[in-house]
Amino acid sequence: MAASFTPRKLDCKDLHSYLKTLPGPVLDRLYNHPATCLAVFRELPDLARQYVMRNLFIEQPVSQAVIGQWVVNKFTNEHKYACKALSELRVWYEQPIPGGQPGWILNQTFRNNTKVALLGGGSPWIGGRSTTVDKYAKDIPFLDKYGQDRWECVLHFMVGSSEGSEGVSRDIIEVLNNSGLMKVDATDSNPLITPAGFQFLLMDTQSQVWYFMLQYLETVEHRGMDLVECLSFLFQLSFSTLGQDYSTDGMSESQLKFLQHLREFGLVYQRKRKSQRYYPTCLAINLASGLSGVSSDQEKVGFIIVETNYRIYAYTDSPLKIALLAIFCDMLYRFPTMTVCNLSRTSVREALIRGITAEQILNFLRSHAHPKMLATAPVLPPTITDQVRLWELERDRLKFDDGVLYSQFNSQSDYELLSDYAKDLGVLVFENASKRVMVVTRSGHDDVKKFWKRQKNS
Amino acid sequence: MGKRDRKDKEERKSKKLKSEEVVYEEEDSTLDNVDVKDGVPESATRHVEDDAAEDEFGAKDFRKALDLKPDHNSRPLFIGPNGHIFLESFSPVYKHAHDFLIAISEPVCRPEHIHEYKLTPYSLYAAVSVGLQTNDIIEYLRRLCKTTLPNGIIEFIKLCTLSYGKVKLVLKHNRYFVESQHPEVLQKLLKDPGIQEWRKRAEVDENGDTQFIAGELSGKSALHLNKPVRDQNQPETSTAGEGTATNEDGQPVPDDITAFYDKIDNEEEDEDEAQLKTVSFEVKQENIEDIQKRCIELEYPLLAEYDFRNDTINADVNMDLKPSTVLRPYQEKSLRKMFGNGRARSGVIVLPCGAGKTLVGVTAACTVRKRCLALCTSGVAVEQWRSQFKMWSTVDDSLICRFTSDAKDKPMGCAICISTYSMLAHSTKRSWEAEKMMEWLQGQEWGIMLLDEVQTIPAKMFRRVLTIVNAHCKLGLTATLVREDDKIADLNFLIGPKLYEANWMELQNNGFIAKVQCAEVWCPMTPEFYREYLQMKSMKKLLLYAMNPNKFQACQFLIRYHERRNDKIIVFADNVFALKHYAVTLNKPYLYGPTSQGERLQILQNFQHNPKVNTIFVSKVADTSFDLPEANVLIQISAHGGSRRQEAQRLGRILRAKKGAAAEEYNAFFYSLVSQDTMEMQYSLKRQRFLVNQGYSYKVITKLAGMEDENLAYVNKEDQVRLLEKVLQATDADAEEERTVGDGSQMRPNMSRKVGSMSSMSGADDAIYMEYRKKKGSKESSHPLFKRFRR
Repeated sequence: MAASFTPRKLDCKDLHSYLKTLPGPVLDRLYNHPATCLAVFRELPDLARQYVMRNLFIEQPVSQAVIGQWVVNKFTNEHKYACKALSELRVWYEQPIPGGQPGWILNQTFRNNTKVALLGGGSPWIGGRSTTVDKYAKDIPFLDKYGQDRWECVLHFMVGSSEGSEGVSRDIIEVLNNSGLMKVDATDSNPLITPAGFQFLLMDTQSQVWYFMLQYLETVEHRGMDLVECLSFLFQLSFSTLGQDYSTDGMSESQLKFLQHLREFGLVYQRKRKSQRYYPTCLAINLASGLSGVSSDQEKVGFIIVETNYRIYAYTDSPLKIALLAIFCDMLYRFPTMTVCNLSRTSVREALIRGITAEQILNFLRSHAHPKMLATAPVLPPTITDQVRLWELERDRLKFDDGVLYSQFNSQSDYELLSDYAKDLGVLVFENASKRVMVVTRSGHDDVKKFWKRQKNS
Repeated sequence: MGKRDRKDKEERKSKKLKSEEVVYEEEDSTLDNVDVKDGVPESATRHVEDDAAEDEFGAKDFRKALDLKPDHNSRPLFIGPNGHIFLESFSPVYKHAHDFLIAISEPVCRPEHIHEYKLTPYSLYAAVSVGLQTNDIIEYLRRLCKTTLPNGIIEFIKLCTLSYGKVKLVLKHNRYFVESQHPEVLQKLLKDPGIQEWRKRAEVDENGDTQFIAGELSGKSALHLNKPVRDQNQPETSTAGEGTATNEDGQPVPDDITAFYDKIDNEEEDEDEAQLKTVSFEVKQENIEDIQKRCIELEYPLLAEYDFRNDTINADVNMDLKPSTVLRPYQEKSLRKMFGNGRARSGVIVLPCGAGKTLVGVTAACTVRKRCLALCTSGVAVEQWRSQFKMWSTVDDSLICRFTSDAKDKPMGCAICISTYSMLAHSTKRSWEAEKMMEWLQGQEWGIMLLDEVQTIPAKMFRRVLTIVNAHCKLGLTATLVREDDKIADLNFLIGPKLYEANWMELQNNGFIAKVQCAEVWCPMTPEFYREYLQMKSMKKLLLYAMNPNKFQACQFLIRYHERRNDKIIVFADNVFALKHYAVTLNKPYLYGPTSQGERLQILQNFQHNPKVNTIFVSKVADTSFDLPEANVLIQISAHGGSRRQEAQRLGRILRAKKGAAAEEYNAFFYSLVSQDTMEMQYSLKRQRFLVNQGYSYKVITKLAGMEDENLAYVNKEDQVRLLEKVLQATDADAEEERTVGDGSQMRPNMSRKVGSMSSMSGADDAIYMEYRKKKGSKESSHPLFKRFRR
């Protein structure tokens, strides 16, 4: 279940690919709530959404041939893709139409709840707004800051920076370990960050939260919580209003426990554990938009200046950001509000070795660029982008060819005979006459072997 | 923090320390290696002490030592306790801060947004010598800084500036005086028995040792005395660079910064009226050198100033700038530093190649209007200086005399003598004619000595030149004050402090120099060549990567491409074997060390005026002082190790501002062809460092688009193998030959020594070796005499 430790690129699933992995009955149960249906509906391919709308009020299977005709031939691929998506998510399934022809029918639960979501009606999605006014009402800036602080706490823990992190709970550590973002060393009780973890750190906040939640959801069943309840609560949360307080009334045991975890990650704010109300933060609300893979941190003003001489100046005091820069930079000086660092071949290579890609580094620099940098057309100096990519490329200059080694020839003439034959066939990869070894491509191996047998026998 | 991580970080830290050591090796050793006896005061070897703790990432943590000011956003500087200064170029007060920092510190790098400077003893010495006061420096820094000023920095500035710039050596009426505004300093100097002995007492004045000659420094006003000379001619340029709009962007500027800036500004101008009391004592002319040395030991280095207005012994020379001659603002600014107090200060002016250094020299000579000796690096440069003198000034042709091995004009009655360093420093037997000429040179009292390309000359040779010739003031001109052998520091005390250093990017953006696109073209080694390269132990490695067929093709392709655009192309190859082969194969003219003076001039003239000759191949003889205004494309095939200076000098060949090509984003191109996976890659990284710090950026080209479509040489394997054979047949001497370009061919007798160094070449100390050889490579130093000096 845990991600492998040396992925080329951290695989961050979108909603679609995540739900795909869930068993059918779970999906069916998930569709019991309008919020989930709406979220799923929004993430469908355009064409698929069109099909759903057309079928929404048709309470019987529709012939596949008919649906196929809705699309002109040019877009057959899109059609296939849309059909596949709908089937994978069990939004519809195959059912023959009365004439025996194959047809599709919408999932009944999905149909009902999507109707509710689109047309209105039904009960309030989320436990309901609290009726009384909160004495300790919180405004949006507070919630933003709260969410961000909590989240940075998690990241801080990951970089292992001693500055400014308050420590995190066991649950978070567990999720991090399970997800392969960190691992526990046999000799050390503290978990250590993995290559996947480094890549994780360089993603933008929304993607981070989404990835983290996915990993968390993997573990909920171990904790004796119900996956479907958690998921649907999460979806409801993402449709809630920022700055509005909600009541915990009517939430199940499992959901309450989930709420506590969300509180820890910073997705919701709750003043006290026993408090009857909670506020979702922007982390939770943006979760839904993080799904589609739209990734950009637009919320903050950038702080990084990258110069053509490979200097990086970071106008920040945040120890986390400094720690992130330190992953791929040599740190030189720290002034109040500003840090000087250097991008060098060694420092970048070290990051590359840890599994971070050049594109991630550049993306990080680009998305946090100082306003002065944004004034220029390519935000980063082209020399820098080129060079960082070249540093990455130079790591895989070696090309691997499969082959079979022939060695221990008895005589030079044997060797020459065979190497000439292989050369004529064009399958010789490598030869060294003085050591009498040669390598033949895998595909050429059979021919050469046969030829050799014939020679030996004759 | 986890263990592995911690280990990682430690590793990284130690790695980084190592790399930092390498980086600073050059800069720091300028301070460390200097021999005190060599004429550098002890205080110049000081460092700013820096005991800042390191944070967990290995960065120096200054946060505790510095307190942020509340209005830090509107102030432009960060100053670290280690003397590094970071200036935001987007700050509204950038212009003031920049002018000020140039005066007091060395620019480390000046790219687009944030510039780095460093306070060094030399830079502070220079600051004091152009008239800045200790307290003003500290006060202005304090105001510009975003944080409080580190105490160490204040101490350092005080330490370095208090004793510097207090005493001056002035030549008046052909008598030398030690002059100071501070009597107590003179008292202190006179306590030294040596100086006492060298003091020349007027006979009437026997009773009092401590009685000084009182005088007045009518001082700063003389700036304006000499200004009319220039002002008449180009009135419009005088204040061009000084529009002081503090608040263009509408951003708030703390009042104290502008107020103080105005104060400093005014001071510079108001000092005309201030009559400064000075005291002085006369010293014996024959002991001048001893006194200078002694004063340095006493930490009061003497600043040489020449009161040329009051020099009645040496006749004025009748020369002025032509009315049509217009100085650019930065040229004017640099000269104003030199003539700041009405006298001529000695010092070095640093301008990029192609930015008009010669004009600065000519203007200086025309301002002083005394006999002038101009020294440059080669015969071609001598001719260029002569034509420049004629172009910019009204000097009569008969007043100019050349003194080179090829051209010896009659010295009689001449006022401007142009020669090369090697001619002067030559110490073995000369021809009778040259002997006479030298005698004449030595007998003269020169008003001003112009030293072109000062960075190229070994210090010892330099010292020799300076002792032979008697000059009142010395002006060094250079583009790059970097040298791999750290002799730059000496210049500070041999000539004088750096007076001005221009910002390359600013000149480029203002169109004074060409906008150059730098590119590094990666040429993969062909398998055959690479195999040989890996096995090769000797110097021929160098031949192999220079002759790489892919490189040849890239070169051929670029030449064709640019010839079609009607560009003028210079191709540089340090290796003569490669140079000849490329040039002959491509059927282009080439010139190198042994090429005679006449042929050189002919080739150069053809290149400039003949539309059929668009490409020339040159060896390193053309690195400096070859003025080729037409050239706009430069291709570098093989270069000299990791020499940053050479790279900058070469770039300088195409920097001269191009006319009428403004439509394109870039109007000049600099290609450096590098064979992939060879030593060249490391060298090229090092070579580029200087230019990168000036704000240039190199574009790496891994593939030249359209190369397959061309009919290029060495495409098929057979040709490549034949080429390889040719290279392998080449002797070590072919690789060697390049080492002694210049007048190299005459140098063969000294072969035994080279063999000795050959063995060290195969060792790991390549880089050092290359640098060492470089000095030899430069033309003048190939003389046997200078070999001895290099020891």
